[in-house]
Amino acid sequence: MGMEAIDHSISLCRSCDLVIRKRALPTGVRALCPRCHTPIYDTPYCSINGMLALCLTAIFFFAPANLYPVLALEFLGSLRTTTVIDGALAVYNQGYWVVGFAVLISAVIAPGFLLLSILSQILIIKYGLKSLVLKKVLKQLLKLQGLLTQLTMLEIYVISFLVAAFNLADFATVSFGFGTFCFTMLFIMTLFLMREYDLEHMWSFLDEQ
Amino acid sequence: MSNNNETATLGKDIGLTLCPTCHKVTCCKSEHCSRCDAPLIVRDYASIQKSWALLITAAILLFPANIYPITTLTNQGRVTQDTIFSGIAHLVKTDMIPIAIILFTASILVPILKIVGLSIYLSAITFKLPISKKKLMTGFHVIEWIGRWSMLDLFVISLTVAVVNMGQLLDAKPAPAATAFALVILLTQLAAKVIDTRLLWDRLEAKDDSSTNT
Repeated sequence: MGMEAIDHSISLCRSCDLVIRKRALPTGVRALCPRCHTPIYDTPYCSINGMLALCLTAIFFFAPANLYPVLALEFLGSLRTTTVIDGALAVYNQGYWVVGFAVLISAVIAPGFLLLSILSQILIIKYGLKSLVLKKVLKQLLKLQGLLTQLTMLEIYVISFLVAAFNLADFATVSFGFGTFCFTMLFIMTLFLMREYDLEHMWSFLDEQ
Repeated sequence: MSNNNETATLGKDIGLTLCPTCHKVTCCKSEHCSRCDAPLIVRDYASIQKSWALLITAAILLFPANIYPITTLTNQGRVTQDTIFSGIAHLVKTDMIPIAIILFTASILVPILKIVGLSIYLSAITFKLPISKKKLMTGFHVIEWIGRWSMLDLFVISLTVAVVNMGQLLDAKPAPAATAFALVILLTQLAAKVIDTRLLWDRLEAKDDSSTNT
């Protein structure tokens, strides 16, 4: 009771509070809580330079993914195209602002902030850990990380292109645009980035100095 | 600590707790996490009440979301309104079974399963029901993971509305159920997020161990 020095080999399960003794894991293996099977920790691949590359590529695709049309529809000779943002605004303009915001946040704003946040985290870890102000910024970014990850729904949006295209193919000619390609690439880069990213590992950089 | 608890030592028994924000193991006595300054909570008993409130609101909103039309379609002057269900039924009729299955799962099955699943989970904690904790936790992880896929329908609606706007000829607009549906997703996601799952494992401990000798 009332330990002063905390044993670093001990961890607690976040879902059921079980005490777990940490052991070294081979790569690609995840430790699950023996009681409730919640993933506890894994050996983070988490190479900072690899993440930087993925993050920059994703940011590179972010602008065209949102500026170029993702879906085009041809009906009796007239052509309509839409971008992701137009889609959100169209619903918003019809008075359904809850839906408009939900789409805008989960497909544009959250992914954008997520990528910017990861980029700043990487840059601070690489170059700025000496500065106290930057360490504080890193701390705030890491605190927001969970929320941003939860709000990012790129994978669902990619599936929704296909569903919408099949839905509309019933009465019009549907084609994908350059934006669709960029958006899919944005999704794939973010997917791989998030597989590399390990929040616990990022927090440990704050402990070190 | 106690013998009938098998070997399950809990963090709070040895005076440690996990920071809810950054998952650092910290001493129970401190009020704020030493790493991220977030307030420490050993057990969040109010989370059950919060979760019930969010869940009941979501369950109420599920009715307008399914009864009212979610899209209004004008096709060459003819106006038809589709609810979530009639939209899917239409897809089945036009032989787009795979899309119908995806939409049925995302828009009907997942919200209902989420609300039913979470209410079983919360009842098990509130009324101390003797349901297997392992099964409840597996269900909870599934709900957490699959819940966000309900957004699919809203994305499809936003794309459709943006691209189909040719006046009387062909025009799609969202209808009242869209807002209700968006709120159902938001509230159920929040309800799952606020629950302090450690409470489940605390409360059922005594009962489970006395009834089964494993």
